[in-house]
Amino acid sequence: MPFLQLANVRKLYPNAAAAAVENFSLDVEAGEFVSLLGPSGCGKTTTLRMIAGFETLTAGQIVMDGKAIEEMRPNQRNIGMVFQSYALFPNMTVADNIGFGLSVGGSAKAAIQQRVREMLALIKLEELGARYPYQLSGGQQQRVALARALAIRPKLLLLDEPLSALDAKIRVALRNDIRAIQRKLGITTLYVTHDQEEALSLSDRVVVMNHGLIEQVGNPFEIYNFPRTTYVAQFVGTLNLLDAVVVEPTAGSVQIQGQPAHTTSLAGCSQGEQIRLALRPELLALKSTGQADENRLAGVVETIAFLGAVVRIQVRVGEALLALDEFNNPQLAVPAVGSPVFVYFARSSCLKLL
Amino acid sequence: MRRINWFAWLWFTLGALYFVLPLWGTLIFSLQKRRGVLSLDAYSAALGDPRFVETFVFSNFMAICTILASLLLIVPTAYWVHLHLPRWRPVVEFVSLLPFVIPAIVLVFGFIKLYSKPIVLLGIPLFPSLTTSNLSTNLLLIAGYTVLSLPYMYRAVDNGLRAMDVGTLTEAAQSLGAGWWTILWRVILPNLRTALLSGALLTFAIVVGELTIATFLARPAFGPYLALLGNHRAYEPAALAIVSFLLTWVAMGLIDRVTRGTRDVVAGSH
Ligand SMILES: Nc1ncnc2c1ncn2[C@@H]1O[C@H](COP(=O)(O)OP(=O)(O)OP(=O)(O)O)[C@@H](O)[C@H]1O
Ligand SMILES: [Mg+2]
Repeated sequence: MPFLQLANVRKLYPNAAAAAVENFSLDVEAGEFVSLLGPSGCGKTTTLRMIAGFETLTAGQIVMDGKAIEEMRPNQRNIGMVFQSYALFPNMTVADNIGFGLSVGGSAKAAIQQRVREMLALIKLEELGARYPYQLSGGQQQRVALARALAIRPKLLLLDEPLSALDAKIRVALRNDIRAIQRKLGITTLYVTHDQEEALSLSDRVVVMNHGLIEQVGNPFEIYNFPRTTYVAQFVGTLNLLDAVVVEPTAGSVQIQGQPAHTTSLAGCSQGEQIRLALRPELLALKSTGQADENRLAGVVETIAFLGAVVRIQVRVGEALLALDEFNNPQLAVPAVGSPVFVYFARSSCLKLL
Repeated sequence: MRRINWFAWLWFTLGALYFVLPLWGTLIFSLQKRRGVLSLDAYSAALGDPRFVETFVFSNFMAICTILASLLLIVPTAYWVHLHLPRWRPVVEFVSLLPFVIPAIVLVFGFIKLYSKPIVLLGIPLFPSLTTSNLSTNLLLIAGYTVLSLPYMYRAVDNGLRAMDVGTLTEAAQSLGAGWWTILWRVILPNLRTALLSGALLTFAIVVGELTIATFLARPAFGPYLALLGNHRAYEPAALAIVSFLLTWVAMGLIDRVTRGTRDVVAGSH
């Protein structure tokens, strides 16, 4: 039995035309780190708030640790929550913030102090217990908020875009710390973000959401390499989308912009069918010759952009524009804009999308 | 540049004179009880009057009760409106401004008319006449003062609530296991400290000088005493006016000190 189980959860806000969350079913195992990923307004926060108890469900069930929790009040669920805006109590010191939950729960003073010390050590801010929130940086405030949520030994940890108010460097450092702490404590965690890199780098599994619906659930490897829908493929990383016509389904042969090519994912297609193929830029290469079973498309270089570690080259193939990435190095022979080139890619790297 | 400065100074001086001259006149007048010399006779006479002490203490006590009553009424109400009924905020705000529109005399006559007889609803006596005993009349007085202080108190609390993220702080406290009273007492109230202090001091100023309600409820308050004194004496009311000015300034200084001390905390929390 999974630790947290959401079954057909639906949320329709009063006076809203469409449901914010629809038919949401998800099983989370104990100790798992699961991210909800999706664009603004897709219902990530709403889902999290229903689990925390701040929103009621229109339909469906939520079971945590074998108990239905959707009727429980938020202060009885024992779920830790970390907010985007930190939400530290401005009138309390760092130590009092961290100890608040225990003190509300009636723990003894000595036990609270002990736990606060443990938590401060966990977030590596031992020195700052006596400070007030306004005397801390954003990153430090969010660490304290994490410690405060964890101090009560919650059954579940919810984080709603905890890093989006921070600048890029701290974001990466803190997200690694969050993951390390989560692993150390083994706490089941749901993490909301609209940043695909964050979701892929942190999570055991990623839930990609779109307009309140789950598009795909999978581990980061599956989500990135085998997106099931155009939506997921486009949302997670850069992607080339190519229209193609099926020539011979059993042989896997297709036509892309009038040029022959092959793919390994034509199951269930019929001859002459219009399909859509996805290609990751990093799986394409500019070469003069390639292996016999590689696909080859002829095109013309349209733009070249240096992105640091990689060089992104856009090649026009008929009506389509293909982006491809080459790792940057001083010996790299970058073709001139306007020159004719061949783009090579493996048959298996070309995915058919739903 | 020079001319603009000059004009600014001219207006500033005119404005200052407008405020300072009457005050100065009152001060000088209050010092002239003894013919020909400046003395504090008027002050010692006014402050030494046992009726002064009695009414002043009474009004201060009423002011404290009023502040407590309006806090109990307004803080939970404003908090709830902020949290759950944000669309009703303009309505509540309008209600809180009604004391500016309805004169105190109307309020107090309404009180007397309604509460001087026992209130019986459908044959069940709800409560007895409230104007027959001093204690119950004091309760009416506090109720009236609470109404008068409503615009100031509500505004102060509302501003305080706006300055913090009430919704998220509440949810953070809830997720840590806190119930409503814990949240109000340990999270919301402490963060309203500054706002509450300024509201309380304004309420204090209003209550201590209030005339109409206290007069018609016939309670020994400071406002009616001042008015009475003004009818019979010349120098003493001037002396008391100066004293109350000083008290007001002290109060304003206190507000300033308190708000300055905590402004960093509030501003830094965002
Ligand atoms: N209290 C509310 N009342 C009515 N509609 C709401 C409410 N909260 C959210 N919505 C709507 O529900 C949908 C989902 O909102 P939600 O906040 O869950 O999105 P999100 O995925 O968290 O987006 P973001 O990344 O911008 O935070 C949106 O269309 C939003 O407008
Ligand atoms: Mg959100």
